[in-house]
Amino acid sequence: MDLENTKAQMRKGILEYCILSVLSKNSCYASDIIRELKEAQVIVVEGTLYPLLTRQKNAGLLSYRWEESQQGPPRKYYELTENGRKYLNDLDLSWQELVNSVNLIRSRK
Amino acid sequence: MKLTVSINLGGYFFNIDEDAYEDLKRYLRNLELHFAGEESASEILSDIETRMSELFRTKISSYKQVITIEDVNQVISVLGTPEDISDTEGKSARDKFTTPGYHRIYRDTDHRVIGGVCSGIGAYWDIDPVFIRIVFVALIMAGGLGALIYLILYIVIPEARTTAQKIEMKGNPVNIHNIKDSVKKEFNAVRKNMKL
Repeated sequence: MDLENTKAQMRKGILEYCILSVLSKNSCYASDIIRELKEAQVIVVEGTLYPLLTRQKNAGLLSYRWEESQQGPPRKYYELTENGRKYLNDLDLSWQELVNSVNLIRSRK
Repeated sequence: MKLTVSINLGGYFFNIDEDAYEDLKRYLRNLELHFAGEESASEILSDIETRMSELFRTKISSYKQVITIEDVNQVISVLGTPEDISDTEGKSARDKFTTPGYHRIYRDTDHRVIGGVCSGIGAYWDIDPVFIRIVFVALIMAGGLGALIYLILYIVIPEARTTAQKIEMKGNPVNIHNIKDSVKKEFNAVRKNMKL
């Protein structure tokens, strides 16, 4: 067993959930998402985010629009689609179930 | 004095040191290979380039106008190598991202007697170079033709200088793990020689 690998596996599923959660509040520029994920310490290298965003977009969970920026070229702003919201609701539920299950097992003596 | 290269990254113009440029190019090429199987690989790459240019812009001021190799390494550590990225994805990075193994002939100057021609041929065919040396010595005895052939081969065959070339010489695919292994091997050999 490899601790780092187990941690990575755990983080992977949670990361997708966290991206959707960040976007559920308001639409975001990729660097804003990175900042939030880094503050919460759920992402190690930034490069992990971009393939996930693109996959979620291709799966119809996210969409993006281009927005002008004062500091340079237009930026991509991501937001949740209707499908993405439903998906996130399901994940919220299953996250709650997971937390309950783990707590239950850990509290049993 | 250093030569700089100007590049366009994510719509921004940067002056970058030549050595830093080589590293950056290699990094982007590796990412490209890593995402090659992905449906929207070019989109992912252009997003990463945009982020990269953002990070580079924080390194530039009116006092420091050129991107250095330290900047590139720092940005790469923030964005992560393909190995880092796939580790988070929970896949084993070990057997992926191998550029197809080249098998080329080089002069093996690590094990040379004269110019490394025989040891290079030996490494290429995976046979003991002693046999090739015997053939050459025999040819020289038999009228000196061997010396001429040796001289031509010495000129024609390049020397294996870099670690990647030394791996290519033996026909192993060049990937980061092979390079690591062979650097380790070399390090151990040096340590043994110095009796540490």
